[in-house]
Amino acid sequence: MSEPPPYQIDIRGLRKRPKELAPETESRIDEAAEELGFVEREPRKRRGRPKSPRTGQVHARVLPGFSEEIAAEARRRGVQQGVLIEEAWNLYKEDRGM
Amino acid sequence: MPVVTVASPKGGAGKSTAAVLLGTELARAGASVVLLDCDPNRSLSIWAERGQVPDRIRVLADIGEGEIIRTVKEHDRDGTVVIVDLEGVASRLVSRAISQADLVLTPMRATSLDANVGARAVRLVAEEEEVIGRKIRHAVVFTMTRAIRSRAHKGIEQSLRGQGLDVMEPPLMERIAFADLFERGGDLHDMPEGGTIANARDNAAAFAQAVIERLTSEDAT
Ligand SMILES: Nc1ncnc2c1ncn2[C@@H]1O[C@H](COP(=O)(O)OP(=O)(O)O)[C@@H](O)[C@H]1O
Ligand SMILES: [Mg+2]
Repeated sequence: MSEPPPYQIDIRGLRKRPKELAPETESRIDEAAEELGFVEREPRKRRGRPKSPRTGQVHARVLPGFSEEIAAEARRRGVQQGVLIEEAWNLYKEDRGM
Repeated sequence: MPVVTVASPKGGAGKSTAAVLLGTELARAGASVVLLDCDPNRSLSIWAERGQVPDRIRVLADIGEGEIIRTVKEHDRDGTVVIVDLEGVASRLVSRAISQADLVLTPMRATSLDANVGARAVRLVAEEEEVIGRKIRHAVVFTMTRAIRSRAHKGIEQSLRGQGLDVMEPPLMERIAFADLFERGGDLHDMPEGGTIANARDNAAAFAQAVIERLTSEDAT
């Protein structure tokens, strides 16, 4: 058809080479890249609230007045009710020298 | 077969053009080529939609940082060359794509701005080599060059070579046919004869051959 090109491309020497990475190497690459300013740039795909570190539970039945006040204060401060219970418990311990 | 990652945080450096030229030349020479379009601007996908995608070429799009390593592994097998085209930004996606590369190709115009921004890719590759503990071959290719090299071009080239960088010969010259690729799709051999198309084909083939030499030479391991 046409005359052969002056540069004959020869692909015969091309072969696969091992490039396996251990999982911890992958995260170390991300860290090293971040230090050079190569950072995550994708919109986060995760939805909903981040997971709460509050995984413990208390089982508290209280008189109606208390539960309403605690709920109102938590709402006002925008924290979970557990945060108020933690604070109250710290005060209790201080008070008793525990 | 090998993985070539085309990376520079500089937009408009000629990355996508280099990726398409390399892919179409290798496919013409008989290799199966997978082009990974990792740029949200989808340059390669647009090229693929514009015209007939040449035989033996596949374009996969919408690959993000969560998919890149797995996707490269999936296609990195005997008989297939994987070419990764990236957005001109400094992102984690770029660094992960480099971690999977046999050769990182950094296109740059012969301007000090391109060279300075391109130097960030050079540092990143060096850093990753350290972390991974394997040599990652890295080469710079000048793009959109003129037949007569400007003084600025010569100065930048000398400085890069002085830093021990591998500067490819030939550069990708400024050619209408290279810009037309993205207007028309397909490869250089789909374009009508005449004008300077023969020179463009020679330039592209010599460039692809220079890439192959880097992928097959012993110190590429
Ligand atoms: N060697 C070249 N000759 C002529 N035009 C070129 C050449 N390389 C790139 N271009 C043009 O320059 C612009 C940017 O190139 P592109 O490859 O898209 O860069 P990048 O992918 O790095 O952003 C495009 O319009 C492209 O057609
Ligand atoms: Mg591009």
